[in-house]
Amino acid sequence: MKTILEMRGITKLYGKAAAVDGVNFDLMEGEVHAVLGENGAGKSTLTKMMAGVVHPNSGEILFEDAPIQIKSPAEAVRIGIAMVFQETSLVPSMTVAQNLFLGNEKFFNRIRGVNITAQQFMQSLSFDVDPTQMVSSLGAAKKQMVEIARAMLLDARVVVFDEPTATLTPEEKRHFFDLVKTLKSHGVAVIFISHALEEALEISDRITILRDGKHVVTDKTENFNRDRIIQAMVGRELTEELYNAKKTVARPAGERILSIQNLRAAGVVKNNSLSVFKGQVTGIFGLVGSGRTETFKVVSGAIKRNYRNGGEVFLHGKAVRYLVPAPSVQDGVAYITEDRKVEGFFETMSIKANIFLGLLTKGKSARFWLKKSEMDQVGDQWVKSLQVRAVTQNAEVIELSGGNQQKVVIAKSLVQDPDLVIFDEPTRGVDVGAIAEIHEIINRLADEGKAVVVISSYLPEVMQLSDRLLVARQGKVVEEFSPLDATEEKLMYAAVH
Amino acid sequence: MKKSVNSLKLDQQTIVTGLFLVIFLMFAIFLPGFFTAGNLLVLIRSVSVLGILGLGMAIVVIGRGIDLSMIATLSVPAALVMTLAAAGYHPVVAILAGLAFSIATGIVNGVLVAYAEIPALFTTLAVGIGIAGIGQSGMFEYDIIAWPVELDSIAWIGRGKIFGLPYSILAFAAAALIVHVFLKKTRLGFFIYAIGDNLSAARITGVRARPIIILQYVMSAGIALFAGLVLSASSNSMDTRIFNLTWIYDVILVVVLGGIGLSGGRGGVMNVIIGTILIGTIVNGMTILNVSFQGQNLVRGLILLSALLLDSIVNPRNEETAKQGDI
Repeated sequence: MKTILEMRGITKLYGKAAAVDGVNFDLMEGEVHAVLGENGAGKSTLTKMMAGVVHPNSGEILFEDAPIQIKSPAEAVRIGIAMVFQETSLVPSMTVAQNLFLGNEKFFNRIRGVNITAQQFMQSLSFDVDPTQMVSSLGAAKKQMVEIARAMLLDARVVVFDEPTATLTPEEKRHFFDLVKTLKSHGVAVIFISHALEEALEISDRITILRDGKHVVTDKTENFNRDRIIQAMVGRELTEELYNAKKTVARPAGERILSIQNLRAAGVVKNNSLSVFKGQVTGIFGLVGSGRTETFKVVSGAIKRNYRNGGEVFLHGKAVRYLVPAPSVQDGVAYITEDRKVEGFFETMSIKANIFLGLLTKGKSARFWLKKSEMDQVGDQWVKSLQVRAVTQNAEVIELSGGNQQKVVIAKSLVQDPDLVIFDEPTRGVDVGAIAEIHEIINRLADEGKAVVVISSYLPEVMQLSDRLLVARQGKVVEEFSPLDATEEKLMYAAVH
Repeated sequence: MKKSVNSLKLDQQTIVTGLFLVIFLMFAIFLPGFFTAGNLLVLIRSVSVLGILGLGMAIVVIGRGIDLSMIATLSVPAALVMTLAAAGYHPVVAILAGLAFSIATGIVNGVLVAYAEIPALFTTLAVGIGIAGIGQSGMFEYDIIAWPVELDSIAWIGRGKIFGLPYSILAFAAAALIVHVFLKKTRLGFFIYAIGDNLSAARITGVRARPIIILQYVMSAGIALFAGLVLSASSNSMDTRIFNLTWIYDVILVVVLGGIGLSGGRGGVMNVIIGTILIGTIVNGMTILNVSFQGQNLVRGLILLSALLLDSIVNPRNEETAKQGDI
């Protein structure tokens, strides 16, 4: 077999942080190549560079031994690289046949002719999809077939699947594996990104594992087993001082402040039950799609739980149902978002104004007139206590580094003096120096007797911070660990199995 | 990158102020009849109503909305006040009725935008057409309603002069002061900036966003009524067909040109004042130059386009700053 696609020393920087760092990757004709790694390991960034969505800062890409530059998705398709995204890119209000030929219609576009050609093409792939059907009426698996058929129609030589099985039922998964085999028999090379290790072991010919944007290992699938994959995914150099210290003491649980029972919401939280106690950090570990963020967004009122069989939420032993976040803030809940650009800070305002705004929404401090002096005083106090570093006193938040922005968002919530503080991915996109400081803030809050929740998909972080560890998978908490005897392998096993 | 955005932001105010000074000086030097006391008074009087409307629009735009119904809420409630007063109701009763009408309009706008989540552009367009329709379909006997003598006790808001300054400009000044204090010195004003900057963040922080969105539209409707009364008093009548004119675009022009970004959370009363006098000067100069109505429209269209272009350059909507609910 010969190599069809090769990447040499590919690096992609976001700001100063490397999402992909000097990765070498090669793909053979007609092979199924699984790319595995934790969240943020760089899998998606790597494949997006193949599809022309993202452009590398350095390194080269070779297609059939000729160096190429993939400037746009359209160019990738022309070269022969097709990407099937998690969310499908089909037009729902058009028929299957129309979608197949979208963008390549003849000038006089006869519906009947298009349908016949589509039918023949689908049959040649032995896909059981009616070309006259509307895409919106198809299930997830059939939509995927249409996407694959479209890639084949465009003579794709490489097809990239990003988490293709995440939305499929077990039966549909079987079918998907057959599709991949069909592709393979046509000589198409398939890249398969997944969290599900078993699927990768079953379907792939080779496996590449990435960690922290770096290439760890590429080998034939038969040389791997579950344990070796997990080891490679989570194994870290012990030189990482930050996460080096093993937790030796766990804070005891205080009074129960939050109790969630059989919660269902947003289609991803399924029958979730858990409790949170004062005076300790409760860590929630889970992969994307495990419903961990949505669960706590329900607690804060940012999203609503299901009307029927939605389960119950008790705060301070009282049943609550928040329709908007405002009343939950009054009741002492603070949710610190994982996406501070979208719902964290106010980019046109100064640091002090951001922090002061948090104070103004809380109960008794709410009055009609603003006092500038109070804003300065409160702002200064929190800037100092959380060590927010800015070039100028009145800097806008958008000008700060990721870590300092995060501290402002934290201060905006802490100024409300909450009893329950929920940190969702507290150190995402935060510079290393600030990570330690944010961890210190989290520990300080727990020592002060507040109930703290830390949601993270970064294993070392939850292990380092938590006094109690909950693992979520597919919409509910499945296992509880003590940080003293938990290992990264055990947690990962519970999260993906 | 970040630095350049900042310097650009400073530039927009400077550009517009500089533009105003240049145009004003050119007109004063080269345009006979422009720099006379009489004409300047005309200029000031003609822009005060536009400026007052601009203040109302500014509140809504800062909260990342837009209110196209302002001309309808300028004419119909004001006409209602005059009709009721002429029919023999006490002026206070008449004014309260007009105020109730405009507050109701604002609530309808606000509820549709905040709770039904219809884009503000379409909501206020439809509500404006509806209100104008109510006004034109038999609420009043004639299209043009004359200022009744019963209301002469408040006619000074549009007519009187003090130290040679017409009261209408003082009405603009008073409205500007009140709106400025509201936006910059009160908690609710601060929340409007927060909602305009980032609605999701404001919600999560615990701001009750929906009632505040309603408040924005109520305030813009109330301000429109005030502008309507000033206009009626100074011109001695109210033409309810005014809604059919392109006046609302002048109001948007004032706000955008002055530097209040349509992406919300930016600007203040100062921007409205700058935008108002610039537009007033240009329109006044064109009138003296005897530019035709069509020609004036062309110039306005070009200025509005350039202002929107400048706005989208200075306050770009790229991936990072793209927000939901943008108009």
